[in-house]
Amino acid sequence: MLATTVTACGGDDGASAPKAPATIPELTKDPLTLSFIWFEWPPAQALEAFANAEYKKERPNTTIKVNTVPNANWHDAMFTQFAAHKTDFDIAILDSQHIGEAVTNGNILDLTDFVKKNIDVNAYNPYLLAAYGQFPQAETGKRDENASLYGLPLLGDTWTMIYRKDLIGDKPPQTWDEMISAAEKCQADNPGVSGLAFHQANGSDAAAVTYNTVNGVYGGNLWDAKSRKIDGVLNDAAGQEAMDVLVNKMKPLTAKGSGNWFIDEVNAAVAQGKACIAFNWIAASGGLLDPKQSTLGKTREEILGKLGFATLPTQKTNLVPLGGMGMHVSAYSSEANQAEALNFMKWFERADIQKKWAAAGGVPSRTDALQSPEFLNAGPFNQVYADSVPRMRDMWNVPEYARLVDIENTNVNAALNGAKAPKDALNDIAKEQQAVLNSSGRKGGGGL
Amino acid sequence: MSDPVSLTTDHPVQAASATPPAPGGSRRLSDRWLAVAFISPALLLLLAMSVFPLLWALYLSFTDYSATRGGSAHFVWFENYTAILTSAQVHLRALTTLIYVVGAVTLQTVLGFTIAYLISRRTHGRGLLTTLFLVPMMLSPVVVGLFWRFMLDAQFGVINSMLGSLGLGQVEWLTRQRTALFSLIVVDTWQWTPFIMLIALAGLTAVPKYLYEAASIDRASEWFRFRTITLPLVWPLLLIAVLFRAIEAFRLFDLVYILTSGGPGVSTETLSFHVYKVAFLGFNTGTASAYGILMVLIVIVLTQLYLRYLNKLKED
Repeated sequence: MLATTVTACGGDDGASAPKAPATIPELTKDPLTLSFIWFEWPPAQALEAFANAEYKKERPNTTIKVNTVPNANWHDAMFTQFAAHKTDFDIAILDSQHIGEAVTNGNILDLTDFVKKNIDVNAYNPYLLAAYGQFPQAETGKRDENASLYGLPLLGDTWTMIYRKDLIGDKPPQTWDEMISAAEKCQADNPGVSGLAFHQANGSDAAAVTYNTVNGVYGGNLWDAKSRKIDGVLNDAAGQEAMDVLVNKMKPLTAKGSGNWFIDEVNAAVAQGKACIAFNWIAASGGLLDPKQSTLGKTREEILGKLGFATLPTQKTNLVPLGGMGMHVSAYSSEANQAEALNFMKWFERADIQKKWAAAGGVPSRTDALQSPEFLNAGPFNQVYADSVPRMRDMWNVPEYARLVDIENTNVNAALNGAKAPKDALNDIAKEQQAVLNSSGRKGGGGL
Repeated sequence: MSDPVSLTTDHPVQAASATPPAPGGSRRLSDRWLAVAFISPALLLLLAMSVFPLLWALYLSFTDYSATRGGSAHFVWFENYTAILTSAQVHLRALTTLIYVVGAVTLQTVLGFTIAYLISRRTHGRGLLTTLFLVPMMLSPVVVGLFWRFMLDAQFGVINSMLGSLGLGQVEWLTRQRTALFSLIVVDTWQWTPFIMLIALAGLTAVPKYLYEAASIDRASEWFRFRTITLPLVWPLLLIAVLFRAIEAFRLFDLVYILTSGGPGVSTETLSFHVYKVAFLGFNTGTASAYGILMVLIVIVLTQLYLRYLNKLKED
């Protein structure tokens, strides 16, 4: 193993992870397969194709393999292997919220020294670098220069508002209230078309991200990170208003039976002309412009005549959800593969490669790549991403993340599907999540 | 040995069993070793794959061990068990599981027996019908789940399409509390009714014909024959099928995972699904082990009570 020393990173988190060397060790000349793990969606195939086409020019003996699992199994697939201290992947593509759990358990390498020596940190919006690599978690919009880095950005992402220009007009709604009014009118004017389509499923982080987005827009907070307080923060007046808007104003504008919709279902509704306004992750929106998958037009241009992509409307704040993922080196990979992984990351974060990645359909994180014509002209939603970067807010990045998100998912899903009153659901989320944070380090009976 | 058996070399087995063991190098012993040699691979596999994990889980259930946090396991003794048995979350999942087991197994038993009874009365096409009815049972539960997920889709599903053509409204099968658990029961019934049917059919074909002939001579009615001959003779076999199905239904995971993910909210989360979450979301391995052990204990206790009733039925 490259990693021999154990470092404690800032704060009292007791986080410990083996350190990656500052200098990339000598690379092998033997054939080598560098494996990633991600979930099944178009960017996974795009990454494999891009890396095999471009990285091979530098390292002909290396083959890139992106192993994918269904989104709902993504966290489990990675962390069960971490638990076994043996991984069949070298680079884990973690959601930003997974970092805390992986760092605390020592599953991924501390890249702080490597980044200092090999990566131009000034080339990034500091918050993006922090969101995809820093632990303890960064304050929204900021980066702590003294905190350790455990990953580097692979794919940036946020929500885009997808709207039917032919049904609600060319100008997208500017506020959340306007958006709801436009959706209401569109639904009334177009029988068979629902006003809204958004994520409501109780798997992965679907319903949770939806609530968090509305919560942010209405000025709410998910928690007070310093005091680790959720109960009384999440379910304050702003939080209650957000839940009320989501369940009582937005949900009635969705299609019947859409209570288990996630990325694919929302895309399907848009592509089949069944939704006036939809919200989805930018990185998953490429298929909407494919005439083979759409009933909105026979050409990309025809589809773009009907579909518009915009940044999320604002209300009391202009916050948008931070999506995307970073690359993290498995602590259980072989020395040769860890060295290759570090070399790949250094290569991938180069300015020219980031621009090529943008042109290939990826969403880069370097500022120069984000503002490059290669990126901005690659897709109609790329400008939306570039404009959204300063507005991003992440969820909690703590070792208990998986349980916190499950509590929120199930309760928001219950509220959206009439299994719980909205107010009760929000109070239950706050109470149960607080109990999870409070029981950290408790002996026995955890996880119920 | 009562009678001396004439031994020939044509009957080595007889010879082996009839010849007294030679002093010293016992042949019987070598046979025993041979038996041990044959059995030991399977036995070792069983020990490695079943017994050891069970004992290991039992040990972990008394600790605060977490698979991802690593470190040593500290004994918390019965704290995991107490937490599980007093948890309102667990009680809710237990109730969901109970409703599911009772609903699914009852429906499957009634349907399975009815189909078997109707098939057993046919003389032509019995084999073909039986084969056709068995198809759902041959499919993987994950595939079945995916099929039904599409079929039950509120927007594009064939079920709602048929209801629409009958002039009925759309039903949100998988996203409403009242219908989600019912949908799971229906899907499980579709897949596993053939299992009950198969066992019931075996029981029905084993009923001696002369009993029916005697009943016919006595001019007994169809209902009388069913009540006094068919049902009492098939009942014990049917109860064994019910036992198997109940154990399977109690452990339900795959259909829930595919069809509802436990939703809406947690209204279709079964005990197995909850154990999975405890084990793999928070990686609370100790708690999950205790949860698993408790589930095994419940199945064992209920099965014992059930088997006693079954034995009593046989004696009667």
